[in-house]
Parts: sequence; C-alpha cells; structure tokens
Amino acid sequence: MVAEGLGPQPAVRLRAFTKNYGRLRAVCGVDLDVDREEIFGLIGPDGAGKSSLMKAVAGVMSFEGGSLEVFGTRIDSEKSAESVKERLGFMPQGLGQNLYPDLSVDENIDFFSRSRLVPAKEAAERKKGLLEMTRLTPFRARPMKNLSGGMKQKLGLVCTLIHEPGLVILDEPTTGLDPVSRRDFWTTLSVLLREKKITALVSTAYMDEASRFHRLSLFYGGRAVAQGSPDEIMAAVPGALVVCKTERQSETLAGLKKSFSDVQVRGSWLRVFVKGADEQEAVGRVGQVVGEGVAELRSAPAELEDIFIALLREKGLVVESSRGVSDMTDSAMPARIEEEGRGGADIEARNLVRDFGGFRAVDGVSFRVERGEIFGLLGANGAGKSTAIKMLVGLLPPTAGTGYVAGRSMLQAPRAIRERIGYMSQVFSLYTDLTVVENIRLYAGIYGLDRGRSRQRTDWILEMTELAGHEDQRTESLPMGVRQRLALGCALVHGPRILFLDEPTSGVDPIGRRRFWDILFRLSRNELVTILITTHYMGEAEHCDHLALMHGGKIVADASPGEMKRRLANETGGLLEVKTDRAAEAMEALREAGFQGVSIHGRQIHLLAPDREAAEHRIRKVLAEKNIALIAVSQQPVTMEDVFVHHVMAMEANGGKSR
Amino acid sequence: MTALLVWLRRLRVMTVKELLQFSRDGALILFMVYAFTFDIYLAGSGVHFELKSAATVIHDSDRSSASRELIDQFRPPSFRIEGTIERGAEGTRLLDEGKAMVVLDIPPRFQESLLSGAPTDLQIRVDASNSVLGLFAANFCSRIAESFGFQAGLKRLGVAPDRVKYLPRVRNAYRVWFNPNQNDTWFMSIAELLNIITLFAILLPACAMVREKERGTVEQLLVTPLTSFQIMFPKVLAMAAVILAGTTMSLFGVLRYCFHVPFRGSILLFYAVTLLYVFTTAGLGLVISTLARNLGQAGMMAIITYGPMIFLSGAWSPPEAMPRFIRTMMLLSPLHYYIDASYGVLLKGAGINLLWRSILGMGALGGTLFTLGVWRMRRQFE
Amino acid sequence: MNFKRILAVTSREARGMVRDKLFFAMAFIVPALLMLTFGYGLSLDVMHSPLAALDYDRTSMSRDYLHRFMDSPAFSFRGYLKSERQIYPLLASGTVRAVLIIPEHFQQNLLAGRPAAVQTLIDGTFPFRAQTVKGYVAAINNSFNLRELSLYLCRTRAMSRRRALAGLEPIKAQVRCLYNRNLRSDWSIAPRLMMMVMMICPPFLTAMGVVREKETGAIYNIYSSTITRGEYLLGKLTPYVVVSIFNAVVLWLIATEVFGAPFRGGRLFFFASSVLYVICTTGMGLIVSVLVGTQVAASLVTFIVTVVPTVFYSGMFVPISSLSPSGRVVARLLPAMYFTNIVSGCFLKGVGFKVLWSDAAVLAIYAAALFMLGYSRFHKRPAS
Repeated sequence: MVAEGLGPQPAVRLRAFTKNYGRLRAVCGVDLDVDREEIFGLIGPDGAGKSSLMKAVAGVMSFEGGSLEVFGTRIDSEKSAESVKERLGFMPQGLGQNLYPDLSVDENIDFFSRSRLVPAKEAAERKKGLLEMTRLTPFRARPMKNLSGGMKQKLGLVCTLIHEPGLVILDEPTTGLDPVSRRDFWTTLSVLLREKKITALVSTAYMDEASRFHRLSLFYGGRAVAQGSPDEIMAAVPGALVVCKTERQSETLAGLKKSFSDVQVRGSWLRVFVKGADEQEAVGRVGQVVGEGVAELRSAPAELEDIFIALLREKGLVVESSRGVSDMTDSAMPARIEEEGRGGADIEARNLVRDFGGFRAVDGVSFRVERGEIFGLLGANGAGKSTAIKMLVGLLPPTAGTGYVAGRSMLQAPRAIRERIGYMSQVFSLYTDLTVVENIRLYAGIYGLDRGRSRQRTDWILEMTELAGHEDQRTESLPMGVRQRLALGCALVHGPRILFLDEPTSGVDPIGRRRFWDILFRLSRNELVTILITTHYMGEAEHCDHLALMHGGKIVADASPGEMKRRLANETGGLLEVKTDRAAEAMEALREAGFQGVSIHGRQIHLLAPDREAAEHRIRKVLAEKNIALIAVSQQPVTMEDVFVHHVMAMEANGGKSR
Repeated sequence: MTALLVWLRRLRVMTVKELLQFSRDGALILFMVYAFTFDIYLAGSGVHFELKSAATVIHDSDRSSASRELIDQFRPPSFRIEGTIERGAEGTRLLDEGKAMVVLDIPPRFQESLLSGAPTDLQIRVDASNSVLGLFAANFCSRIAESFGFQAGLKRLGVAPDRVKYLPRVRNAYRVWFNPNQNDTWFMSIAELLNIITLFAILLPACAMVREKERGTVEQLLVTPLTSFQIMFPKVLAMAAVILAGTTMSLFGVLRYCFHVPFRGSILLFYAVTLLYVFTTAGLGLVISTLARNLGQAGMMAIITYGPMIFLSGAWSPPEAMPRFIRTMMLLSPLHYYIDASYGVLLKGAGINLLWRSILGMGALGGTLFTLGVWRMRRQFE
Repeated sequence: MNFKRILAVTSREARGMVRDKLFFAMAFIVPALLMLTFGYGLSLDVMHSPLAALDYDRTSMSRDYLHRFMDSPAFSFRGYLKSERQIYPLLASGTVRAVLIIPEHFQQNLLAGRPAAVQTLIDGTFPFRAQTVKGYVAAINNSFNLRELSLYLCRTRAMSRRRALAGLEPIKAQVRCLYNRNLRSDWSIAPRLMMMVMMICPPFLTAMGVVREKETGAIYNIYSSTITRGEYLLGKLTPYVVVSIFNAVVLWLIATEVFGAPFRGGRLFFFASSVLYVICTTGMGLIVSVLVGTQVAASLVTFIVTVVPTVFYSGMFVPISSLSPSGRVVARLLPAMYFTNIVSGCFLKGVGFKVLWSDAAVLAIYAAALFMLGYSRFHKRPAS
C-alpha cells in the first residue's frame, strides 16, 4: 500500500463507539485503535458486539454513537464510508457465505478482482500468487460449494485480498474449521499480511487463537473488558491453574465447586483456577479440599480462557449457576437404568459405507460406543463424520454395512430407534420464530408426552439449560451458546438413552461451551446417557472417554485421549516451544530445515522432536544462520490438537491426493 | 388407545406450531388480510364485462331528423358519443389510435330513402381488436339499427305504433336466474375469492415445507418418530384454518357487506367444500415442495401450476367451447370442480345432491396428490 | 457508473443463473408453456352453450322455432324436458345454461295474428356468458319474427314476400369488424397473452435476487466493495432482461406462427417497446426484492403485484374504459396497460410509433422511475 507519510496515524480509531438495534444495545462506548500493519484480535462470546463493530468499520452498517475513523477519514455517512472502501477488504461471518456456491474458484476470484477494477494483467498475477500460497491451484475449476470448509475460507481470504487492501476485516474466519485447516489458515494469513504489509482486524471464538494476534481486545456484553498484547492480558488476573485426577470425579467436583469459583471438568481431569495465588500455594489449597485419594495433582499453565472467565468474574459479569452439578437428576433416568440394565454397546457401526454418486463419503466405518460413554468422533471438514451420524440416526440409508442403536438394527427398526435417541444436527434446527418454551412443548408433543409429563420435562429442561426467565423469548434473539443449550434440551425432552451431537458447540463462545459440557458430563455420569459427539475444539475432545479419528471416510485411530497423546509422544518425541524475535521467518527456516509439525502460535513456534537436546542444538544452528535471535526453547506437554494435526498431516502425506 | 392418543397429540402440537409460526410473520398476515379483503373488493368493484361507455364517433352525411333520431339510440351507459367528424378517413384514424371504438357512417339521403322505402346501407365500423368487446359492440349496433329500421318500416307500412304489440310476433322474455341483474360484481368477487384461496392453498404449505428444508429444521423432525404424514398433514391443517379464517373475513366483510352477494345455499356446505379444496390444492403445494430445493424454484413451479389452473377452471372460458383435449385437461384442475361447487352453493343454492360429482372429483384428486407428496417426502432426502 | 463493474456483477449473476439448472430451464420453459396453455385453453368464444327446451305446444311451429336454436352453433341442444321441476336441478348443477319454455297455443296465437310469448331462462352465474347467450337468443328470435311478420303481411296486405321483408328491414346495417374481421378470440388473445406472460414471469426471475443475497450474507460483498448502488442494481438486472427479451421473441413467434395472429405493425418499434416493458417487469421483481426481508414474502408479494393486476387492470379481458374510476387509476399506475395498447396496436391494427409513442414513452418513464425507487431504497450501509 501507499505510505501515508503523515506519521503513525492508526488504521482504525474508535472513540465511545455505540451501536443499537432498536432498543437493544449491541456495543456501548468502546475505544479502540488498530495500528498499521498489526493483527488486532477481537475475542468474546456471541452477541458481545464483535460483528457489529466490524461491520461498522467495514462501512456496511451505520452506528448510533461515538466516532469512527478509518485511515484518518471520519466515517459518518454512506458517502464517507464509500470513500475508503477501496482500501478495505471485508469477510463476513459464516463458512463461505460471502462466496458464490455455483461459481468455480477461478470465477469467484475473477468476480472480486473485476468488481474491484484490478487491471487484468495484475489480477492474473496476483491470483496466481495467492492460489499458490493457499495451495488452491489444483482446485481452480471446482465449484465453490464442493470445497471443504478450510478451502472455502482460504478462497474467501484470496477474494478479500485480491485488490490488495490496506486493511482487512475478518469476522470469525476460523469458526467451523477443523484444527488442521485452522492452522493452515492462520499460517497463510500471517504470511500474506506480512508480505503485503496489510493491517488486519480479526475476530474469533477460539480462545487458543489469541496468541496469533499482536494485540487483542476481550469483548463481553458490548464492552471491551481488556485490551493489550496476549502477554499483557495473561498477566491481567494473577493466579495459577491446578489440575487433578481422581477416582470419584463427581464428588470431588462438587467439593471443589464449594470452595473455588472456577472449576471445570476436562475428560478425566479436573481443572481449578486459583485466583491471586502462585503455583505452590494453589496446589496446596486445592490439595486441602480434595484430600486423600487423588491420583495426580499438579499445577499447569493457565489458558486465556481461564483468564477471560476470571476477568469476567472479577468484574461481576458472570453469574454462576447456583446449583451444583450432581444435585440435579432427571427423575426419568434411574428407573430406566434399572429396567434396561448397565453395560453393553449402545451404538455399534459395522462396516458402514455410503456413496454419493461416485464419491465414497464413508468407507467401511466400524466402532462401538458403550453405555454411558462420551464418544468423540474427530476429523477434518469433509472426513465423513456427519454422514456416519446421519446413517446411524436413520436420515440416510447406508450403501452397505449396518449398525445397531439401542440394541436394534438400524436397517430394520428405524422408528423404534428414533424413539430412543436424541439428535442435534450441525446447523441449528429449532424454530427461530418460536419462543423457548414453545419449542420445548413442540418436541414434548412430538414424542407423545402427556400434559403432566410435558410440563415436568419443560421445567427440567429450563432448569438444566438455565433458561428459566427466558421462556417467552424468541429463539432467534438468543445468543448462539444459549440456543445450542436449548437445542440440547429439546433433544433430551423424551429422556433418550442415546444422544447424537454433530458439532453442537461450533461457533459457541468459551463460557457457553463450558456450560454445555457441564450438562453433557452430568448426563453421562449421573444418568448413564450414551453420547456420540463430533467437535472441532480439541480442548473438548479431551473431555471424551473415547475418541475415533476419521480421515477420508475411514477411521484411522481409535483410543482414549490420554492413550492417543501417549502414543504420539512415544512416536515423535515431545513438543518443543521455540520463542524468537521474528516468528514467521523462523517458522519458514525451521520448516525448510526438516522439522516436523512446525506451526506458529503468535510469537512462539511449536514443533515435534524426539530428542530435545539434539533438536535444540539444531534449532540454534538453523536460526543463527538466518540471523534470528532465539529467546527460549522449552518442552511442552502434547495436546490433543497436536495429535489431530499429526494424524491428518500424516494421512495427507500418505495418500491425500487420492481424494 | 394410547397409540391413538399419541398420534393425535403429535398432530396437535405440529399444527399449533405451524399456526404460531404463521402468527409471527407480521408481513405475511398483513398481506393475507389485504388479499382477502381489499384485493377482492378491487376485483369486485372495478371489473365489468359489458359494453360500457364505448367511445362512438358519428359521421353524419344526412343531418336530418331521422339521422338524429338514430343517433339518439346510441345511448349511455353502453355508448358515449365522442363527437362528429366530417370525413370518413378521420374515423379510421380515430379507430387506429384507439380513441374511438365505434364509428357510425350515416349515408346521404338517409331520411329520404327511409321514407321512400328504398333500402339503405348503414355502415358501422367496430374496433374488434378485443374480440369480446368487438362482438358485444357489433351485436348491439346491429340490433339498434334493425329495430330502428323495423319501427320505421312498420310506420311506413301504416301500422300505428300502438298496434305493434298486437302483431303476430314471438316475444321472448328472458329471465336470468341466480343473478338477475347480471351483476358482474357477484361473479368477480367470488371468482377472485376462489383465486386467492387457490393461491394461498398452494403457496402457504409449499413455502412452509421448503422453508423447513432450507433452514434444516426438517432434519430434526425426521429423526423423531414422526411419520411423513404427520410432518406434512399438520401444515395443511394449519393453513386450512388460516385460509378458512381469511375466507370468513372475505365472505362476510366483503361479499355480503359490500356487494350484497346472496348466499342462497348452505354456508356450512360452502365451508366444507372449501376445506376439501384446500386439502386438494395443498396436496399440490406439498408435491411442489418435495421437488423444489429453494423458494425461488418453488415460486416458479407455483406459477406453472397456478396459471393454467385459473384458466382451465371454466370461470373464464366456457368448457363446452373448448377443444376436447383441453376439456379433458380441465378434469385435472381441482379449481374446475371447486368453481362449479362454490358458485353452485353461493349463488344457485345447490345442495350436495347436485354437487356430489364435483365433490367426488375434488376428493379423488386431493387424495392422489397428497399420497404422492407423502410418498416423495422421505425419498427426497436419500 | 463504471461499465466494467456492471459487467462484473452481470457476468457473475449470469453464471449463477446458468448453474442453477432447474431454475434456468424453468426461466425459458415457463413463459412458453404458459403462452401455449393459455392460448389454447383460453377461448372466450361462447359457443355450444348447453340448452334444454320445455315445449308445451308441441306443434310444427314450435318445433320450427326450436330448430332455429338447435341448428345454431351458439347452442348445443341437450333434449326436451317433461316438467318445470326438472329445470332448477339442471341449471343449478350447470348441466345446461339456458332453458326455452314454449307455452301452449304458441302456433295457434301466431296463426291467428296474435303475439305469442316464449320464455328463456338463463343461468346468470357468469354474467358475461349470460350476456352473450341473451344476444344469441335475441338474434334468433328476431330472424324468426321477421319471417313470421313478412308471412303475415303477405297474407293480410297482399304484398309480395320480398317487398314485405324489405319494408320491415329498410336499413341494412353493415357492421365491419375492423382489425379482426372474424372476431377470432385467439387473434385477440394471443398478443395480449404476450403482455401477460411477460408481466408474470420476469419478476419471478429477479424477485429472489437481492433477498437471497441478504439471507445468505453474500450481499456484504457488495456493501463492502466499491461497486455503487446503481451499478449493482443494473448489473443484477441485466442477465434477466436478456433472458426475458429472448423469451419475448419466442412468445412473439408463438403468437404469430402457432396462433397465426396477424402482426401488422413496425417490428423495430415493437421490439424496442418490448425491451422497455421487460425492463419494467424485471425491475418490479427487483424492487420487491430490495424492499422485503424474506424470500417467502418476496414470492407472495410478487404474485400479488403481478398476477392479479395483469388479469384485471391491463386491458387483457376488460378494456380500461369499462373499469370503475378506481380501477382506471390502478390500471394507469401499472405498466401492463400501456403495453397492452402497444401489443394490440402493433399486432391487429398495424399502427406504429406515430400512434403509440406516448405509451412507449410512459414505459420508459416507468422503467426510470422503478430504477430510481430501487436506488433510493437500497443502501450499502443499513442500520442492521
């Protein structure tokens, strides 16, 4: 871009910015500066006002109060907004929703470059470069609707960048993407922005992406709760995180909840954030509450999510549910447990196959889910997870193979199965024009509950989903997280013994996701509900008792999360975190040097190396050659995300071209 | 017994759901009220199928008392004398420009010939580019000329005007039944009501179903124990209720109150027939909804079916004047039966004993369409 | 206005349209299909009206009178009735549309030089049909009377038949039906159908355009780009105008070749006015799309603003002059009426620009006004 030459004028300057929708206040009094060439992040739950702010900056929505300057131009009318649009690129929320599904990759890009009046020769050059960079070149002729989610978002990025804007505004570009695609997207984005000296304003629902930003702002309830670099924000709430593992998880959890405000279950682990304490003190205090019989108890690095929630609590913005986890049981459940007994497989897939035309979406999938287990089905976008679930719930007939749900064959007894299962599809599928309670009553009636039972279940669901008080609110006005809880409630209205959840938390903010998992955990542990779930949040995958990883329609790994991580650690060694002064260049260098699993996380680089000593030595050498200063190398525990990325990369390297 | 209770409960909650969703769409309700009241009022009050104020231009080359007497016969409301012209060619121009519909050329010595008994030619030019009006105007004009000539002839033959009625002639007294004044308003307002009912009966259930497909809510329904019938039928039930409410508004608010349409038959029978018709047509809408993937496609398919249904209904073109092939096609248009039945009930006071054929035809069509829709319902997703 | 940007929007829209195969196919099939079904199915000729007779006289004269009805193509005789009680069910069920009742002493009265009364009962449900039937009855009755009277005059005044007839009918009315000599309804309807089909179909092509983009979020590409409002609307409209112009040509061919309607006007003028008309009708769809919020609403509103007025207020069946004052105002607010003038002028009357320029001018103004309305209602920086 052309330099302004007028000193360090920020790309975006907001003062006391306010946006209302009728009487609803979406954003109130936000001050914010985005400096030139920085990546500025907006993080916060749904309905926090991120999208409204971004739309206003992009000049596609008017606002009510405060001032907004973009590149020094005051935006206060349609005309002034038009005047800066030449230098802006905007990508709205939603997977590929701003693209044209029937048009090919090429045609989509051409439309954007032609509508932006990019000269033909330059457009062709840029397109070539961007397609190379995003590795979309082989798919140029493919209609956009047939691309995977990750490819759609990269194409969206290419289209947004084709006119080389000075500022790009990306609204949740990674929502709904699997971890590999997300990593890929971020890598591509950071390289492109650096090369073209572009400023970016990006929002995300993934807390773990915070490290990707130079500076960020935490949003909640239309206000910026905290602003600064990731490190500054991490230091905003002093405290330490303690993790522990016990046999009697439910009881321990209940005990911890009485003494600590921030307790969370993650698979077999309990996580406690102790505010204002250092590591030793925190471990000690948790140890006191938990008492004897703890398998493991140690401190762990806190995550932004912990800090965010602590911050909100500090400001009195989060109201905790008054009830403990274990003291709410579903009256319908115990009787059924007696009746149907414990143990045995509740879901079983046997060599399921499904073809769409000539394309095999699911290719011989088999797995077993035991009664009361939380079973996670992982995989990149388009790996065949949803198709497998749709076959099991009877939405799609299988091309070959069979399955058993609740002890009945899915081929012979689909109706009997449908009476015993609950299902949440990927897209929100309740009626947005009905109120909360109307939706619940509808499903109660569909499952044939009589009046008394219907009332009882409605009360139970309202209580469980903490929606009491919102009964008469239209579903469309609820934030995403609350909607998803309601959808879960509706799927549970008849007290099913098996739940199928297809990406139920996609696009839900961290607080919403925590609450959601609290419910799932309760259902599984207290009421022995069997749960089959798919997710792109690797943090959530850790909650599962058992995981199956799908790729290209096949199951490529099938084990518990701990087992999977152990195997990866054995196979490839540990995870090293490298801190340098120039992260992006360092990453390129390390990748060229042949390190495995190199990825960038803000200013840090992660890579996999079997022998720490030798690896550190090589890293120093490689970086020294490029004149990059090495600040630190440290060992990190392997996460589920590393497992996922490793598997998918390995599969793609093996035979990815076959698809 | 419990199975039946559960079945009924499912039907009830699904129907209530549809009604609630309808009630939340303010724009749709507003539009519906407009269609069932104002639109029908406009159609009923604005349209008349008769020769009215036909612009008439006179080219009088005789300028006698006889010619003036003849001109006097071209009276309102059917005719409106626009003026006189001097040359015949001017008439052609006025006709071309659409400023005149009828040009009357009275030849020179018109009165003289009339008195002498010599035959006279009277030229009347009529714009027939609209064939219906052309026909009306042509017939009307020749009748005026003939009867004027007849009177003049009798006078010349010495028959005193007061003796004319004793001549041996056939006096054909018409009696128009069911609508003695041939009030177009009655016909038009009922026709429009039926059109609106048809429009809503096709589009409302089709849109409700396509919307569920587009938003993905139908998936959630498909994994519940609901059968295809239980998913589709409540939409029809709910929309039938909505349409009957609109019909009531129209019947009493517009037809009776504004236009004084006599309801000669049983209103209850009319409601029953309407209900059956809504089911039949909604079946068609549901079949459309299983074929269309988005509302754009659904809208296009709706016009393809709606247009021909209206024109094959027999309200516009008399069935007996149509080629055999078209007459057979009409048997496939549910509106054809409905028109017969509803005019029968409302204007003619016919009962079920006269209308059973139409009712049976409608029922058979409806059953077939609905079965087809239910059959396609689950299949379309596979 | 930047032509390249308009072209970019147009070619994108065109590609999207072509790729939705079902929609694209329907865009061409629906107009032609409507034209053919209506053209064949919509005959306004009232012919072969079913008729029954109740003859109390049963004489040669009464049979002679009835035969005049039986032989006329206007009626189709369905048989003799036995009693008056049979009449109501037949008329009420629509089995017959008219019943002739000939009382006793019909022949006797006439032969005695006295008038005779006959009654015709007509089903008035469809007033237009009743009107026509009345006309036929009067014509047949008149010709019978003329013969009877002339015979009577022969007998009583010792005149020759010819003189008697000439005396009773001194004026020969020569009615010339201009433009459509045989009063063929298909000639008269086919060109008007062109008007109607081109009113109903094009708005449906465009009505979903903007709403769908609003619903999916693709509209933000436009909001956030440098494409101006006018460029967007023009670009969006163009592909559908092109499709509709093609359809107009097809419809013209159907009207002239299949239905044989005579086209006597100037082709160039007619083509130019058709283009203007098509811009108006596609534009109406686009306006609906800009104004409403959901696709359901868009399809219903389009239906009502196009189908209903075209049937009643376009001059299709009912000439504008026969409308009530309020109806005439409605008609003047819609483009259909002006195009009806052009269609019937160009097809049957063979007039052209000289006569019809004002109608074409109104269409052009209408197109411009629609565009201005869309332009003022479409904003790239809405409040929500």
